[in-house]
Amino acid sequence: MKKNILAVCGIALILAILINGTQVQSVSEYYLTHIDDLTPESERVTISIRCDAIFPHYDELDPALRSEEFLPPDGVILPPTEYRLREGDTVFDILNRAVRQNHIQMEFQGAEESPFGSVYIKGIHYLYEFSCGPLSGWVYRVDGAFPHYGCSRYTLRDGQVIEWLYTCDLGQDAGAKWIGGREN
Amino acid sequence: MTERLTAGLLCLFLLLSPLSVPATAEEADTPLSVAQGIVEWKKKDSGSPDGWLMNDAFLETAGSTAGDWYPIGLSRLGIDDRYEDYLAVLEDRVEARYRQPGRLSAAKATEWHRIILAVLAAGGDPTAFGTDENGQPINLLADGVYDRGKASPLGRQGINGMIWGLIALDSMRYEVPENACDTRESILAEILSAQLPNGGWAMNGNGADPDLTAMAIQALAPYYKGELDTRADVREAVDKALGFLSASQLPTGGFMSWGTENVESTDQVLIALCCLGIDPLRDARFIKEGHTLLWGILRYRQPDGGFAHSFSYDPQNPNAKPSQSNSMAGEQTLLAMAALYRLENGLSSLYDFRPEEAGAPISAVFSESDRQAVDTLPDPLTTEQYVTVTALLDKLTRSADFAEKAAYLQKLMAAKAQIAEIQAEIDSLNAVIRDKLYPFESISLWEKRTVDEIVKRYNALSEYDRAKIDGREDILKAKAQIDSLLRGVILSAILLLTAAVTAFFLIRRVRNRKEGAP
Repeated sequence: MKKNILAVCGIALILAILINGTQVQSVSEYYLTHIDDLTPESERVTISIRCDAIFPHYDELDPALRSEEFLPPDGVILPPTEYRLREGDTVFDILNRAVRQNHIQMEFQGAEESPFGSVYIKGIHYLYEFSCGPLSGWVYRVDGAFPHYGCSRYTLRDGQVIEWLYTCDLGQDAGAKWIGGREN
Repeated sequence: MTERLTAGLLCLFLLLSPLSVPATAEEADTPLSVAQGIVEWKKKDSGSPDGWLMNDAFLETAGSTAGDWYPIGLSRLGIDDRYEDYLAVLEDRVEARYRQPGRLSAAKATEWHRIILAVLAAGGDPTAFGTDENGQPINLLADGVYDRGKASPLGRQGINGMIWGLIALDSMRYEVPENACDTRESILAEILSAQLPNGGWAMNGNGADPDLTAMAIQALAPYYKGELDTRADVREAVDKALGFLSASQLPTGGFMSWGTENVESTDQVLIALCCLGIDPLRDARFIKEGHTLLWGILRYRQPDGGFAHSFSYDPQNPNAKPSQSNSMAGEQTLLAMAALYRLENGLSSLYDFRPEEAGAPISAVFSESDRQAVDTLPDPLTTEQYVTVTALLDKLTRSADFAEKAAYLQKLMAAKAQIAEIQAEIDSLNAVIRDKLYPFESISLWEKRTVDEIVKRYNALSEYDRAKIDGREDILKAKAQIDSLLRGVILSAILLLTAAVTAFFLIRRVRNRKEGAP
């Protein structure tokens, strides 16, 4: 009789485990697969990608790009999205993670090829530098301000808000006063 | 080429006289000594303090902004380096990019102009630089300047497309065919019409920029001095531009651009004056409170010989180190020193590449050490050998016949093909990863085969090539996810089986007991 009770308990336990899920992971595996999970205590940043500055300059846009495939009707390529901040993450790291997670096309020049010693973003979502006039290209803002240096040199802090903006006049449409094209 | 450069360097060394700079600290400095400081810094910075500036890591960047201006500056100073190897890699890169849509760049014509100048500086011919996919010689001058308009307007990126196009066109006083999209005349007219009322040029309509103004002067210089037919309108425009620059010069001798006083703006103004044949150290218009342009430049020199971009510090950014040697500041100061050096020694101006540097390629000697380099190539190869193999193959093709030439040729061509294959595998694996591993949440056991395949292909690469795979961490992450999902399924199966077996025996026992009980 005792054996029967034990067996019933055993079956109940097994079913309980099965219902609860059977993920069995080592500590390092757990850490690896949950590295980007957002928990209430994790540090985080917000990133968005927009190209609505093109609309007032639509006649300057490369004719090959004049379709909804490249230019979303609302100008939003990525709405504000939260990502977990890892130690030492730069603006470029978060952008790269965001475009990969969301299958957004991006082309950049590596830091070693760029005279600025920083990664340079050439195009996002098929919109490139000079796609919409001579002063067009991608700029970024952190907490509303335009940093004076490349995105792979900007280390982020908890809670910061990154905006990638397509500009048609060297950032002035987005409120920047200084951004210059020094590259020949 | 090397011999000629070395001989040239020696001659010029003898001709060289120290500059008279109004500041005591720089009295011993000459353009060449300043340039050598930059070269020493750059060598240290790129990890070969005792070798050539153009080490393999540097040659990997041939065809990019960071990779092309140093060779131009070095060559115009007569400093010896690996020009032939640089040219071989650059040609290979240009050929590869000509097989992509947009070729060197869809929108940026200056990409062609910089490479044209770099090819000339290294002793090559930009009008026949490699071959395109149809086997036709690549004419960078046609595709990048006078017929650029067939693909995209020369001025798409702004007036600097016109300015650098004209500099490239006049680098060898190239002839423009009659039916070309843009001609000298049309480009000149565009540049002149973009001048602002205050005499400057601007990237964006309103505020004139000293950098762009200086570059416009560099382009107009041949028409000012009377080398190409002197034009009254050009003279007037340049004089007005000089007035603007003189008025904008700061008491430090330097210039401010986009709100920051920086070394590159001053470099460009110095180059502009040298192109006009004006002695920048003695012309009263460009000495402020006793400070010359050179003084304004040398302020940015660092103890390591390199140059900092600016002094201003941005408290927002702990990473930006304003008073630290920087690659772009170094390269533009190197060019400025080359311009000054050439002026002082009566050489052609910085971007005038006629006779001295450009000549018929001399046949190369495939030396014993070159053969040894081929014999000691590792097996299997990695993309780390790309620069070595490309340079050796180019040299061998140009060398005179010798007994084992065919064997070496075959070996190097096979090596080149193998490296191209590895590169293709890297590109394809990167594309597969981008396509299949995201978003991470969507990875289920159904993707096991895909993930296993990616892991297998990744592991098949050498250590060096693995570093070129983007999202390496995500491969491990996906693999761990699949492993734990699989483990979960197996565990569930075992548990289910155990439960079923236990249940079976339990039921049998209960039934037996019932039957056994009378």
